[in-house]
Amino acid sequence: MVVIAVALTLSFITFFLLNVAIDPAQAVAGEEAEALEIEQVRQQYGFDRPILIRYFEWFKAVLTGDLGISYYWNKPVGSLLLERAPETITLALMSVMVTIFIAIPLGICAAINPNSVIDRMCLGVAVSFQAIPNFWLGLVMIIIFSVTFPIFPVSGDKTYFHFILPSIVLGASSVPPVMRLMRTGLLDVMEADYIRTARSNGFFGWKLILNHAMRNALLPVVSVLAVQLGHKFGGSVITESVFSINGLGRLALESILGADIPTVQILVFVFAFTFLILNLLADILNAYLDPRLR
Amino acid sequence: MNKTAISLLSLISIFFSIICSSLFADKSDDTLVIAFKREITNLDYHYGTKTEYLILADMIDDSLFYVENDNLSYVPSLASDYKVVNDVTLDVNLKKGVKFHDGAEMTADDVVYTYNFIIKNDKNRRHTKLASWLKNIEKTGPYSVRFNLKEPYANLYNDLYRIKIRKNGIMGTEGNWDDNAQANSLIGVGPYKVVSFDPGVEVVLERNEEYFDGPKGKPAIKNMIVRSIPDMGTQQAELMSGGIHWMYNVKKDVGESMAKNDRINYQLGPSLRIGFLVLDAAGFTGDGHPITDVRVRRALNHAINRESIAKNLIGGPANVVHTACNPVVFGCFQDVTKYEYNPEKAIALLTEAGYPSGFELELWSYRDKEAAQAIVSDLGKVGIKVNLKHGKLAGLNKARKERKIRAYFGTWGSSASPDTATISNIHWRDPSKGDRNLSGDPKVNELMIGAERTLNIDERKKLYAEGLKLIADQAYWVPLWSYSEGVLSSQDIVFNQDADGYPRVWGISWR
Amino acid sequence: MILKTFIKRLVPRVLEDDISLLSPKTVVLRKAISHSGFKFGLLLFISIILLGILGPFFLDISPYQQDLDKRLLPPVWIEGGSWDHLLGTDGNGRDYLSRILSGTRISLTIGIGAALVGMVIGVTLGVIAGYFGGWIDQFVNYILTCQLALPGLLLAMTLVFLIGPSIPVVIIVIGCLHWTLFLVVTRSVTKRIAKLDFVSASNAIGATKLQIIIQDILPGIINQIIVIFTLEVGVAILAEASLSFLGVGIQPPTPSWGLLIAEGKEAIFFQPWLIVLPGIALFLLVVSINMLGDGLRDIMDPKSKLE
Repeated sequence: MVVIAVALTLSFITFFLLNVAIDPAQAVAGEEAEALEIEQVRQQYGFDRPILIRYFEWFKAVLTGDLGISYYWNKPVGSLLLERAPETITLALMSVMVTIFIAIPLGICAAINPNSVIDRMCLGVAVSFQAIPNFWLGLVMIIIFSVTFPIFPVSGDKTYFHFILPSIVLGASSVPPVMRLMRTGLLDVMEADYIRTARSNGFFGWKLILNHAMRNALLPVVSVLAVQLGHKFGGSVITESVFSINGLGRLALESILGADIPTVQILVFVFAFTFLILNLLADILNAYLDPRLR
Repeated sequence: MNKTAISLLSLISIFFSIICSSLFADKSDDTLVIAFKREITNLDYHYGTKTEYLILADMIDDSLFYVENDNLSYVPSLASDYKVVNDVTLDVNLKKGVKFHDGAEMTADDVVYTYNFIIKNDKNRRHTKLASWLKNIEKTGPYSVRFNLKEPYANLYNDLYRIKIRKNGIMGTEGNWDDNAQANSLIGVGPYKVVSFDPGVEVVLERNEEYFDGPKGKPAIKNMIVRSIPDMGTQQAELMSGGIHWMYNVKKDVGESMAKNDRINYQLGPSLRIGFLVLDAAGFTGDGHPITDVRVRRALNHAINRESIAKNLIGGPANVVHTACNPVVFGCFQDVTKYEYNPEKAIALLTEAGYPSGFELELWSYRDKEAAQAIVSDLGKVGIKVNLKHGKLAGLNKARKERKIRAYFGTWGSSASPDTATISNIHWRDPSKGDRNLSGDPKVNELMIGAERTLNIDERKKLYAEGLKLIADQAYWVPLWSYSEGVLSSQDIVFNQDADGYPRVWGISWR
Repeated sequence: MILKTFIKRLVPRVLEDDISLLSPKTVVLRKAISHSGFKFGLLLFISIILLGILGPFFLDISPYQQDLDKRLLPPVWIEGGSWDHLLGTDGNGRDYLSRILSGTRISLTIGIGAALVGMVIGVTLGVIAGYFGGWIDQFVNYILTCQLALPGLLLAMTLVFLIGPSIPVVIIVIGCLHWTLFLVVTRSVTKRIAKLDFVSASNAIGATKLQIIIQDILPGIINQIIVIFTLEVGVAILAEASLSFLGVGIQPPTPSWGLLIAEGKEAIFFQPWLIVLPGIALFLLVVSINMLGDGLRDIMDPKSKLE
């Protein structure tokens, strides 16, 4: 319920903003269009009517499955989405995997030896990753791994191999929050009574951590990962444009610069909706994992 | 442990490099890959004026006329010959045996249909504007047509070059035109056929083996892929790694550095594009601003070190221009007032106009950020504090339409058209019909547009001379420099750069 | 060491051996001195500020002064570099050191400005939601969900595109998109405080709601707000850099770091320092701010112990 209401509000806000920011008639008529031509388009497409009416018409069409036609790409927005979504989904999933593979081991290492050199180093990694701008990391990775040592392709999305550098770049930005959460989560759990009991009974080491502590420490991590995955869908704009991946992020960027209102409109809606759904899923998963909530 | 890891890693990387190298097309399978910065979103040329679309259209389409690259003059292409009957009548005979990509022969019916689609398409004014000079077109035989003009129109051949011939019936019928009929798959008569098209990503082309014997010549390369790569850095990397063979619009610094690689060629040749500042002399943005004063506008002309910018930032054959057109095109009269670089004189002129300590000016720009900043710096030296608004073209166009732009740094590439008419037509229109003419001087409009309304070459030259003199004298513009066109290509291919800088990529061959 | 002696002079009691004698304020100070991350961040931050603000006064080259004959000179340690331009020059022949140094001020102005805007929005909403509760709280929660679900960068681009890019616009847009943390924390703390006895007491003696909020609640949340504020400054600085990198942020020739990186992008293979150097500056500033923020959180946390 809330999900739908939020998505609706957001779609209206974007609709309003876009229609104020960009003259839709000019966008359709093209950059070189003359005043008269633009007026003609305005009447033909009905851009001269109040914004609320146009919003409801748009919404009605979306409900019947008609997402509109992009002026810029000359295609139905729906088929554009279907074409571009696989790349973004691949990128988002791979980058979350990168996050998990880096952040969780680091978090565990840090938690096992709190306040040790390893802990400090892990913390240092977290602080650094947080401070590296995404686009810069992408460019530096290209300099190192595609030019100086030509291991990875520079750009494109033909094979999964092409996605490795971009997913590292995109995944790196979520390492700090996940790692910190893993660390504090584990530390909290290890302080808990039942772990202490286990420890005093001679259980110690990885088995203990994996069997008992992890299960509980993972709870908050799962919800943060879901949030991060949601951000990745909407936040892949920069990564996709640096690495020339034809996903939704690049589609969004190009559509904004091309003043393509129908596409941007749908994209914001889709990003917001994905985010909300993922959050919902995280809550459900949490409930399933947490015996107290069951 | 360590050894295994290293050998595993190297195995993986070898494996993947094999996969990747097999993805790269090259000479062995006769496939050339070229890159564009702009996304191609529509195959049908009639929608854009952007160079990328022009190039693509010239590959898959053809038109009655063509700009021949050696002398930069219009020559018949699909037309076999033509005759100017009088000022408003043109007879054109068509080549016989020209085939569309689907095998159908092109006849007078197709030509008549195409032009009717253009002029009778009331819903889409962009089309009707393309041939606004045309009253009607008649079929005079199976392979001949007659154009009846509304009035004499000098830049006629340019439009006959721009309008690509469509197959009879393919765009719908009168009253029921479908502008998007050919947007995603196109049947043309050009040297290449469309195999597949992924909007914004790539166009895959294949040589048209039945291409007619026209001025473009028969293409040497069988397969051509046009990829959209918006990031220039990515394009460079792709060129170095062999993913693409050809890219253009490459700046001097990048090109020169790239050419240090043995496998890569850099050519920096001339271009028809010129840069200029358009000043709101008429005061459309509000009265009383300093630039409505001719002395201030002359001061601006004196204040910018155009030679240094052209030499250092653009390089190659780039040079200072003093006229509102590129000196190499027809009608671009050169004996006009020339403002040399002289900051003292600029300050003196500003003082005389009553602004000894300068003033503030908002300057818009959308292209060539380095040069824009150099202009800002030079104007700053004579006391004009410039607020640069560098953004996308769409934003500039919107603000100009709303009359919010006091000065902008524009460039014009003339779309490979070697005639002053192409740049002056859009820039000196009557202010009610276009928003680029900020001179507020009806005389300029009369002279510059008047020169298009006669076919008499001497008369045209005379009108352009007068008009260009007036523009320079009143300093309605600050003409800046001509650009140069930089092309990077793989050593495997031969690409010849033409005098107008328009890249005729269908002429590329393997070395 | 220097810090220690300095503080010893200033507040001698801080270094008292018997911890139980310390007042709460001095405990915080004492924690600060012994927190190495905080000290390092502070030191780095202060040096960056000094360099960024005082540096340009010592350099006699303006960041805007260009010399087209001396374009793209490499930094001094690379062949072809000279001591005249320590970090080389950019595509317009402007001194890169001077541009990077003056970029500090722009980043900080925007970072602090945007975090302030975000703080005002977030704290206001948080206090209102936490204090009044009920449907108001639910409404604020709704706004929060909306904000969280929004693709922020896209919205920022659209907004800046709409209003036209300039420093104030960028500050406000970034600020308006970064207030959720403020809200969440303020709300929960406010809820806790509002239930406490002294607030009910103020209520009983007839204090107005505004008085209660200002006198009783705000002082209680200030610690957390300072921590979040610091961290948000770092986030806002990165957001500005991203916007400028995409061409919808600060306008040239103003030397914003994101813009410098974008301008260096075309020369990525040949003049990589044009990208690397401003990136490092950005990295150091944000790292120092984050360490400062993390340190502050530890120090101000009453649960953290003092050995």
